[in-house]
Amino acid sequence: MEPVIRTIDLWKRYNQTEGNNSAALRGINLRIAAGEVVALYGKSGSGKTTLLNLLAGLDRPTQGRIEVEGQDLESLGEAGRTRLRRKRLGFVFQFFNLLPTLTVFENVFLSLELAGKPDREAAREALRAVGLDGKERRFPHELSGGEQQRVAIARAIVKEPAIILADEPTGNLDTHTGERVLDLLAGRCRHHGTTLIMATHSPLTCRFADRMLRMVDGLVIEERSGEEKQT
Amino acid sequence: MRVVTKAFLRYLYRRRSLSVLQLMGIACGVATAIGMALSAKTALSSFRQAVEFLKGRATHSLERPAGPMDEKLLTRIMTDPAVEAFSPVIDRRIRLANGEWVRLLGVDPFLDRLIRTELSRSRLDPSFLIEDQAVLVDSQLARQLSVGAGDRLPTSRGSLRIVGVFPHLTGEPLLLMDIAQAQRFFGLPGRVDRVDLILTDEASFRSKWAEGFRLQSGEQRQATLMDMLRAFRLNLQALSLMALFVGIFLVYNTAMFTVVSRRKDAGILRSLGAKPREILFAFLTEILLLGGAGGILGGFAGFFLSRFLTTLVADSISNLYFFLKPSSTQWSWWILPGGLLLGWGASLLGSFFPLKELVRVEPIQALRGRAASQKFKAGAGKVALVGLGILGASLVLLAIPSLHVYWGFAGSFGMLLGASLLTGLVLLLLGPGLKVGLQRLSGLPGKMAAGNICQNLGRTAVAVAAFMVALSLSIGLTSMIGSFRTSLIWWMGTQLRGDLYIGRIPDMEVPENFYEELRFLPGIGGVDPFRNVQIDFRGTSVYLKAVDASVLQKYTRFGWLKGGDENWEPVKRGAVIVSESFYRRFQAGPGSQFTLNGIHGPASFEVAAVFYDYTSEHGVIMMDRSTYLKVFQDRTLNSLGIFVEAADPRRQELLQEVRKRAKNRGLPVATRDQFWGSILTLFDTTFAVTRSMRLLAIVVAFFGIAGALLTLFLERQREFGVYRALGFSPGKWPA
Repeated sequence: MEPVIRTIDLWKRYNQTEGNNSAALRGINLRIAAGEVVALYGKSGSGKTTLLNLLAGLDRPTQGRIEVEGQDLESLGEAGRTRLRRKRLGFVFQFFNLLPTLTVFENVFLSLELAGKPDREAAREALRAVGLDGKERRFPHELSGGEQQRVAIARAIVKEPAIILADEPTGNLDTHTGERVLDLLAGRCRHHGTTLIMATHSPLTCRFADRMLRMVDGLVIEERSGEEKQT
Repeated sequence: MRVVTKAFLRYLYRRRSLSVLQLMGIACGVATAIGMALSAKTALSSFRQAVEFLKGRATHSLERPAGPMDEKLLTRIMTDPAVEAFSPVIDRRIRLANGEWVRLLGVDPFLDRLIRTELSRSRLDPSFLIEDQAVLVDSQLARQLSVGAGDRLPTSRGSLRIVGVFPHLTGEPLLLMDIAQAQRFFGLPGRVDRVDLILTDEASFRSKWAEGFRLQSGEQRQATLMDMLRAFRLNLQALSLMALFVGIFLVYNTAMFTVVSRRKDAGILRSLGAKPREILFAFLTEILLLGGAGGILGGFAGFFLSRFLTTLVADSISNLYFFLKPSSTQWSWWILPGGLLLGWGASLLGSFFPLKELVRVEPIQALRGRAASQKFKAGAGKVALVGLGILGASLVLLAIPSLHVYWGFAGSFGMLLGASLLTGLVLLLLGPGLKVGLQRLSGLPGKMAAGNICQNLGRTAVAVAAFMVALSLSIGLTSMIGSFRTSLIWWMGTQLRGDLYIGRIPDMEVPENFYEELRFLPGIGGVDPFRNVQIDFRGTSVYLKAVDASVLQKYTRFGWLKGGDENWEPVKRGAVIVSESFYRRFQAGPGSQFTLNGIHGPASFEVAAVFYDYTSEHGVIMMDRSTYLKVFQDRTLNSLGIFVEAADPRRQELLQEVRKRAKNRGLPVATRDQFWGSILTLFDTTFAVTRSMRLLAIVVAFFGIAGALLTLFLERQREFGVYRALGFSPGKWPA
C-alpha cells in the first residue's frame, strides 16, 4: 500500500556551528499508511515536535526527504507546502494556538475559509461533533483548557484533511479530559479514514493508536503495532 | 471581511490601551509634521497676502531712502503725466489695550479708492474725515474685540473712535484712518511714509525721481521683503524637516511594534495554511487603518498645533524683520488627505522591514513569536559599517562650506542616522564591560540585565537610538540657544551701556526737541540719539543705524572684529562702521568703500572698522547722526540712550529728572536692566519655535523607548514569567 507519509534519512540540526552537532533528528526513515492512527511516543527533547513540524512543512529538514501523499515537500516550495497545509493537513497544538481575537466559531470557520470551502454549517457541525454547540460566540479565553483543545480539534477536522498532526494534544489537560479529547480525535479520524499522528510522552495516548513509534534522541528506535501494544 | 483580517483588526479593540498608545504615536508624528509645515505656510502666505492687499492696484511705491517724505512732493507727482493714480500713505503699527499689535494705515480716502478699490467699497462716514482719531476697523478685528461703530478703541497712543467697519480682506487686523488725522496722531505733520502709484510710463517716471528716492515695483517690494525672510524660511524648512523626521520615526516605531506583536498569530495562520500574502494583507489592513486613523487625527491635531505655532512664527518674524500679523491657519479638507498619506506612508515605511522578515521567515520561527536575536547580533557589524559610511559621507558634506545649505541639512541628518546605526555594535562591544559593572552593582540580576541588552539587540538598540536621538536633539538645541543667549548678553554688555533708554517701542518716535532738551540738561554725560532704518543695499535690505559717535566712544565698549575704539574718530568725520554680517556678506572690510542712495543721490562711505552685532543677520551700517542727517535729511529718532557719569553725586537726581520729563511727554523709559530684560524676552520669543522642537524630542524619546520596550516585553513575556517563577520580584526583573 502506498504510504501517505514517507521520510527518508531525515535529519534536523540546530545551531550548526563548528564543534556543535546537536541534531534533533538523526536519519529517520518512516512510512505511514493512509487512515493509520500513529502515536509518536518519547520523552521531552526526543525530537517528536521537530518531526511533526517537518511533516507539516512548518520547518525544513537539514538533510533527507519527506513525501506527503507522494509529493516531495522540498520540491513543492513554500507555496506548495502552504497549499498542502490549508487543504490536506490539520494541526493540533499542545497549547491550542487558537487566535485569541476570534470567537470559537470563527476559529473553526477560518480553517474552512483557508481551505476554500467557506461552509458555515460545516463549522457548526464540527463544533457539535466536539460537544461545543452553544459556545460558538465565546472567545478562547472564556473556555477551559479542554474546551480550547476541542476547538483546536474541530478546527483541524472541519476541513476533512487527509492527515492530522497532533503535538501533545493532551499535554495541557487533566487525565479525564485528555482521554475524552483523544477518544474524540481518534474516533473521528478512524470514522473519516484520516491519518492521525500524535506526538506524546503519555502512555495514555498510545492506547488510542494503531501503531506506536518510540523516539529516543532523534531516532525512532522501536515500532509496535496496536496488538503488540495491548500486550 | 475575511476571517484572517478580522482576527488582526479585533486586536485594535482588544488591546485598547496599546491601540491608543499606537494611535497617539502616529497622531503625534503626523501632527508635528503637519503643524510645522502649515504654520510656516500660513505665516508666509499671510505675509504675501498682506503685501498684495496693501499694494492694491499700485504698480509702484515711492519713498525716501530712509525716513518719511515731505508731502509737498505730492504736487509734483500729481502733475506727472506718467502717473495714472497715486495715494499717499502712512503705514504704522499700534498696540491695542490687550497687547496685540495692529497695522494702522493712514490714507486719503478719495485718492486711495483708485489704488485699494476693495476699501473704497466700504460706505464712508463723513465723521471719518472730520473727527479726530476716527478709524475704520476691519470686520474680523471688530468681531474679535466685540466693538462696532460708535465705540472707542483704547491703544498705546491714546483712544481711537470707531466710525465704521470694513470687510475683512486679508486676515491681518487693520485700522484705517484719514491721512491728515494719521499725521496728527503719529506726530508727522506734513510728512508721509510713502506714495503708492499706478504708473503708465515707468521709465519716464524713474528718470525724474531717480535721485533721493526709492522707487520700487510691487514685485520688487515683495521680493525684497521675501529676501529678508530667506534665512528665516530656511530655518522654518529645517524645523519642518526635523518635525517630519521626528514624525516618521514615531510612526515607524509604532508600525514596527504592531508587526512584532502579531508575530505569533502570523505563525498560527501560516501553520493553518494561510498564504504569506494573506497575512501581509491582514497586517497592511491593520497598519493602514491605524496609520489612516492616526493620520487623520494627526491632521486635526496638526491644524490646531499650527494655529499656535503660526503665532510663534509670526512673532519671530515681527521681532526680527517686519510687522506681520498672520491670519489664523484656515481649515482645508486637504489637511486630512495630507495627514492620511503621511500616516500611511510612514506606517508602510515603518512596517516594511519587519513585514519583509515575517513573510520570509519559516512558519515555525513565526510561531515561536520571538525575533531571531542572533541575526541582529550578527548583523550589528554590517549595520555599523553602513552607519560609519553614512557618518563619513555626512562629515564630508559638512566640511565643504561652498555647498548649498540643504546639503548641510542632509549632513546633519546623516550624522544622526549614522550614529543611530552604530548603537547595536556599541552595545555589543560594551556588553562584557556592562556585565562586570552591573554584576558588581546588583549581583546576578545585573549580570542578566546586561546579557539581555545584548541578547535583544534588535529592540534595545532601537530604544538606545531613540534615546540618543532625543538626547542629542535636546542637548544640541539647548546648547545652541544657550550659546546665542550668552553671545547676546555679551553683546548687550558692549553696546547697551546707557543708564536709561527712552522710546524703543516701535509705534513711538522721540521728538527731536526732547533730544535737544535732554542734551543740554546740566550734568548729563551724554545722549545717544538713535535712529534705525531699513535701506536698500545692492538689491537687498540692510539696517542703517545713526548714533552719536562721540557719546558711544565715551561710554560703550564695542566688540571689534576688525579695528578698535580708535575708529570712532573717522566715524565722527563721516566714515562708517559695519557689522560682522555686513562685512562677510559684502566683503566690506576696513578701508573699503561703498555708496548709498541718499536724498541728494549716491553718497560714498569708507568702512573704518567691523563690529560684532547680533541685531540683524542682513547687516548693519552704523554712522554718526551728523553724517546721516547730511545724507538722508531724516530727523526721526527712535530712541534716546541716556548716559550719566557713575561718579556724579547728582546721578540719581539727574536720572529721576530725565524720567520725569519723559513721562510728561508720554514716552516710555527703561533702565538698562529693564531694557536688557526686554531684549532677552524678545530673544526667548524668537526661539520659542525652536524650543518647542526640544519638547518634540522628548516626545520622540518617550514613544521611541516605550515602543521598543513594549515590543521587547511582548517578545519576552514568557521569560518574565520564568523570572517570577524563580522568585524575582517585578522590581528585580533583569530587564
